[in-house]
Amino acid sequence: MHEVANTPRGRGVLACIQCGRCTSSCPVARVVQEHNPRKLMEMIILGLRSDVLDGQLPWYCLSCFTCLDRCPQRGDVGEVMFAIRNLAVRKGNVPEGILVQAKSLFENGRVVTASRMASVQREKYGLGKEPSVDVEAVQKILKKTCFAKLISKGS
Amino acid sequence: MKYAFFLGCLIPAREPSYENSVRKIAPELGIELVEMEGANCCAPFSIQSVDYTSWLALAARNLCMAEQMRLNIVTLCNDCYESLLMTNTILKENNELKDKVNEILADVGLEFKGKTDVKIFSDVLYEDVGLEKVKNAVKKPFNGLRVAVQPGCHLTKPKRIHFGQQMGIAALDKLVEATGANSVPYERKEACCGGPLRGVNDEVALHVAKQKLDCMKAAGVDGIVTVCPFCYLELDMGQIEIKRHLKEEYNLPVLSFAELLRMAMGMKLEDWELKAHRIPITKIIDIAEGK
Repeated sequence: MHEVANTPRGRGVLACIQCGRCTSSCPVARVVQEHNPRKLMEMIILGLRSDVLDGQLPWYCLSCFTCLDRCPQRGDVGEVMFAIRNLAVRKGNVPEGILVQAKSLFENGRVVTASRMASVQREKYGLGKEPSVDVEAVQKILKKTCFAKLISKGS
Repeated sequence: MKYAFFLGCLIPAREPSYENSVRKIAPELGIELVEMEGANCCAPFSIQSVDYTSWLALAARNLCMAEQMRLNIVTLCNDCYESLLMTNTILKENNELKDKVNEILADVGLEFKGKTDVKIFSDVLYEDVGLEKVKNAVKKPFNGLRVAVQPGCHLTKPKRIHFGQQMGIAALDKLVEATGANSVPYERKEACCGGPLRGVNDEVALHVAKQKLDCMKAAGVDGIVTVCPFCYLELDMGQIEIKRHLKEEYNLPVLSFAELLRMAMGMKLEDWELKAHRIPITKIIDIAEGK
């Protein structure tokens, strides 16, 4: 629990009283039985490290922040989700979709880039090229943080 | 009214009709948009999931650029809005983190000072332009059009960050009604569209989108209006995929609010823009043209 609580977005777990309002607010919990934010908070509190970090559980959350607004304890469940995703990534647990976006960010400075057809269309319809990105500056930042290392490890 | 224009990634790459509409209506309403040359991705959900400090530093770089331009930032996208607004709030409040981020930014010759504010385009319309002026710009009102307004999560959530900063869903409804359309109440209006999980867990994303579409259909609307490009994509493209995989058909055209307002102001969408909509928007055009 303290490993999560000591990360910048994980502090909320200390306030959790297991009321379950997060789960009843969660749009994903309505369609995926396995995703239960209250239970996930309980698992963190109990210190079930690999159960929390190794599987699919950190990656169901949409970060819609409904739980965060509704938590009576300011337990910031949606923020704790970011904390455990950050920890999961450090264990090499990154879904392909996230990795693709992270790599695109490193290479292009943006998570989504226009396809060649979209670029042609932009020119044709007078919108011009996509706005420029200073990719060199982005890479400098991501090399200074641990980001560049993390995404090369995840592949 | 002059703003640093933060366009983000998704809109220029996937939804040029949204961008085009904003560029067309802004000057008519006295809004000047100044391009942010060299700005990077806001660092949304996917990037924040990888690393906290990288998120703050990337978002702060964009904020610093606006500070240097001595302008407030306007974004079109709910996710850009959340990322930039949250980072701005966190770094203004927390000196320790601000110092840490500034140490990283020093390498690219920037320093976060906390001298810019972050706004989303609909806020600018409601608060800075004003509802009356928007109403007066409407030349061809959509009388009788029934729409489900999809505000998207990060327009209002988390409330702790947004409180006192922005207008909320009721004001978006008023903007939509200024075009003559009727914003029809429906269940789960504040709920997520499922978009953030697109590409991460498509099946879950579609089931979440279906929950929303079911509620919209039950309210008997002609179409959907949103300000968020993720909602736009998820609800438009999502309907095609839901039809294929979950065997449910809705046929609800999806428009960005900028497109709706542009048409209401008497400016037609061009052919390529109409074709960009996966669910045809002819029904809405017919109403706009009084057919």
